[in-house]
Amino acid sequence: MRARSSRDYTCGVVKGLLLPLVFLVLVIAVLISTGDRRPRADIVIAGENEVFTLDPQRMSYLADMRLAYALYEGLLRWNIEDFTLEPAAASDWSVDSTGRRFQFQLRPGARWSDGAPVTAQDFAWSWMRLLLPDTAADYSNLFFVIDGAQSFWDWRQAQLAAFVADPWQATDPDTRTRSTRAFLDRLSTLAEASDRPTDINWAVMDPGALAEEHAALEQALSSGENLSDVLDNSPIHRSLLAALDEPVSRQAEARWMWEQVEDRFASDVGITVEGPDQLVVELEQPVPYFPDLLAFAPASPVYRPAVEDWAVDADTRQAIIESGWNTVPRPSFDQRRGIDVSADTGRLIQSHRWARPGTLIGNGPYQLDEWRYKRDMRLSRSDTYHDPGMVGFDTIEIRSIPDPNTAVLSYLTGEVDWLTGVAADCRVDLLAQKARYEKRLGEGVDVEQLATGPVPGDEERRDIHAIPVFGTDFFSFNCRPQLADGRPNPFADPAVRRAFAQACDKESIVRNVTRLGEPVASTLVPPGSIPGYISPSGLGFDPDQARAQLAEAGWFDRDGDGRPENTDGVEFPDVEVLYTTGSPRFARMAVELRDQWQRHLGVPIVLLGQDTKFFKDDLRKGNFMVARGRWYGDYGDPTTFLELCRSSDGNNDRGFSNPDVDAALDAAAAETDPAKRLRDLSELEAMLFQQEMPLMPVCQLVDITMYDPARLTGVTHHPRLTHYLWNLQPRAEVQP
Amino acid sequence: MTRLVLRRLLQLPLILLAVYTLTFVLVWLIPGSPLEKSEARQPPPEVVEAMQQQYQLDNPWSFYWDYLGNATGVSWVMGDHSGPVFDLGPSLRHENWTVNEILAAQLPVSMTLGLLAMAMACLIGITTGVLAAARPGSWLDLLSLLIALIGISLPAFVTGTALLLVGGLWLDWFPVSGWGQPQHMVLPALALSLPFAAYIGRLTRAGMLEQMASDHVRTLRAAGLPERTILLRHALRNAFLPVLSYLGPATAAAMTGSFVIERVFAVPGVGNHFIEAVLSKDITLIMGVVLVYSALLVLFNLVVDFLYGWFDPRIRLA
Repeated sequence: MRARSSRDYTCGVVKGLLLPLVFLVLVIAVLISTGDRRPRADIVIAGENEVFTLDPQRMSYLADMRLAYALYEGLLRWNIEDFTLEPAAASDWSVDSTGRRFQFQLRPGARWSDGAPVTAQDFAWSWMRLLLPDTAADYSNLFFVIDGAQSFWDWRQAQLAAFVADPWQATDPDTRTRSTRAFLDRLSTLAEASDRPTDINWAVMDPGALAEEHAALEQALSSGENLSDVLDNSPIHRSLLAALDEPVSRQAEARWMWEQVEDRFASDVGITVEGPDQLVVELEQPVPYFPDLLAFAPASPVYRPAVEDWAVDADTRQAIIESGWNTVPRPSFDQRRGIDVSADTGRLIQSHRWARPGTLIGNGPYQLDEWRYKRDMRLSRSDTYHDPGMVGFDTIEIRSIPDPNTAVLSYLTGEVDWLTGVAADCRVDLLAQKARYEKRLGEGVDVEQLATGPVPGDEERRDIHAIPVFGTDFFSFNCRPQLADGRPNPFADPAVRRAFAQACDKESIVRNVTRLGEPVASTLVPPGSIPGYISPSGLGFDPDQARAQLAEAGWFDRDGDGRPENTDGVEFPDVEVLYTTGSPRFARMAVELRDQWQRHLGVPIVLLGQDTKFFKDDLRKGNFMVARGRWYGDYGDPTTFLELCRSSDGNNDRGFSNPDVDAALDAAAAETDPAKRLRDLSELEAMLFQQEMPLMPVCQLVDITMYDPARLTGVTHHPRLTHYLWNLQPRAEVQP
Repeated sequence: MTRLVLRRLLQLPLILLAVYTLTFVLVWLIPGSPLEKSEARQPPPEVVEAMQQQYQLDNPWSFYWDYLGNATGVSWVMGDHSGPVFDLGPSLRHENWTVNEILAAQLPVSMTLGLLAMAMACLIGITTGVLAAARPGSWLDLLSLLIALIGISLPAFVTGTALLLVGGLWLDWFPVSGWGQPQHMVLPALALSLPFAAYIGRLTRAGMLEQMASDHVRTLRAAGLPERTILLRHALRNAFLPVLSYLGPATAAAMTGSFVIERVFAVPGVGNHFIEAVLSKDITLIMGVVLVYSALLVLFNLVVDFLYGWFDPRIRLA
């Protein structure tokens, strides 16, 4: 056996100890060489919320919309002091005496960031996108007030439904009837079309026999009987469906369907281009808040050649930049690389990849320079924007910091200038420091006084702000006659709902539980958020009155055990309060609510914490008694909240149904006098929250934000909470 | 050795298939839909239905096979798929991005952080382990025990936040959040390395003590070798083997990201997705992350097997 050389042993040491060290040095060297050393942007904004999409029609979150207002410019915008409307991409607008016809004059010389002119056609096309079921925009239905918009949506939806309908596969009679009807419609549309796709093999049809079968199907459909037998005796139709189902045919037919969409939109929807800079919008009925919708992010224009990714030659591109995309021949479907149709569903498939740096073309004050997923985003002043003087900072960095404590630390160390949505628990202490400073300055200080006040001392600060916003936290009562498990529902009785609402001390919840200084709410629409709307007062905290209400509903303590019974001696059931466990806020609110209701009404309360996914499921199925809820308004009109109480509303989780309320909402929609309309809505809200109480408002929500008003101005404190990034300005040096 | 490697390489697809299938079943059982947004409006039911269909969310069977084909490159080889070879699909929640892009952007971040943390962990762990074993019962031993206790028992959000407060706020030596420059990496790497360092330290100490009491060390001592040489050249080499077998899975775990560390230090890495993608039921992203993670894990174990043979000839010969 040969002795090992000492070299081998040294090797072990090298591997064991020095290897990691060498490795460490190497890694650090690589990092230093690759680290990005960009200069700090003029302002760094950070928030917990990441950006989901920069496609304005697809947006539904505030963080996304904040960017839409920087990258795109809608026809109108808000004055963020009072939320009246100002011209933006439209230089002027007017409404005729019927209140239904709006005329917009586009700003001359406005350009997209590639230099092409912004035209009326851009808006019409973007709104078509918004109104298509294919886009699956969350806010389509807000714009159904435009004449023909709803029927355009329905038409396209029916077209798509017919495309996937297969009566022979349907099992239950309802679906079979519906899909037979859709299938026949599809056939007749195809048969009547002069330009129907040639890829479809029509040879399987024997015209005579087909007509016979067709008549039999129609007959069965209209008489409503024996559809199955007739379908079974329909071999020609079945083979026709098989022919249509060939992948090539489906692709061709889906494309052919899509080709009809633009014509349909132009002919049916009340959006008319009357010249490159003239746009006319006609509504179904007068909607006083319609201009407000036009300032909303989903109504922003997008640039068609970018969205559809047009593959065009240099000359055409030049022509587009000189005079707009609608002046050049539209490229063929295949040359529009951003869109495709699905042979399965018939829907238009839009690639969302355009909404990224390099390909995103906007008409707003900023352009997108960089977007690193879940990391950061950089904007810089757009060269082509029509009013450069309006824009405050040259460059903006927006960072995503998911951890609330880290976000606050980043602000405190000066890495971030403006922190939106402060969620860390320490915000309560920070707000207390702010209150101490405000106390020193005196009653009712505004931001201006904060900014110019003396430098805050120890344990004082002026850079955190709790801004009441356009949203309300509430608890929903299940208003259905029966609970999901079939038991009778005590909350079906408005008197019981009133009793529970009046037994809740909201001041105590806000003071001891949520602790953000939220204004307590007895009604749903946040007071003072809508110009001209006077909020009624709802029911306040009154335990005696609450017990009286409960007794009026037949529930009072008959046997002296402290728990109310009804006339049959049946005890009031345990009340289940459903809340989401995602944030401790709701658990704490529910615990406080349990104590209050048990104390004041003698009813046992059971708390049920649920993960959001299960919670939403239960809510939709009506499987709850009391559940937490929250609503943010979308547009500057009380109906953005009150429509929640319409029996057919998609967000009416409570199953609340009152024909008077529905009628009042319809009447308000038809009312042409704006002042009277707001008065009527105020009366409706009074009725809802003094008598019906489908839900118990707890407090107006607040947005906690950190920035130093002595260094930064232009952050709105209005409840509508729309931040225009271009409006931010460094504050001119204040002389001490 | 070659046989071992071959066997492992052949096992890889089977393991991945099992992981894929199991994850797929679990993901499908999560309630809700990735197309649903919390605290936001819902598009009408017909639209949701059509979108479900478009992303094959209404048909688990076809989703399972299509995704598997696209992700493994089989569809590409067969010519059914025009996208990238290994296509992990579009993110269902972040429509402007594909899962490939997300991983391409974030995996390097997590890997850099993980490698740095493992290097730190080896340095701290082996140093404290050797020192502790050299003087068992001394204050050095106690100190290494303390470091190990802190590393193992304190959760990352505590050590991370403490490091942030000390290094970021009070001393103001390092930035609190972000990524891109070397100074951004120090605190998160240190926080991430602590539990690994603790483990390595304990393993080293135990191995060293065993070695120092062994016959061959006694022989070396009798031969008059200096204690330092025995410790570093002879004992450490043998004591390092258990550490090495631990390093494989540990490096893979560190490199594929730590949710807590990445969150606390706002590091844009993959770790975020383990939780967030599951919460939002972003199926394509979950599947993509899990597939990449398991592939890495298997590969690292393979690398460790290689190194093992290199360190210990007995295993190489076996």
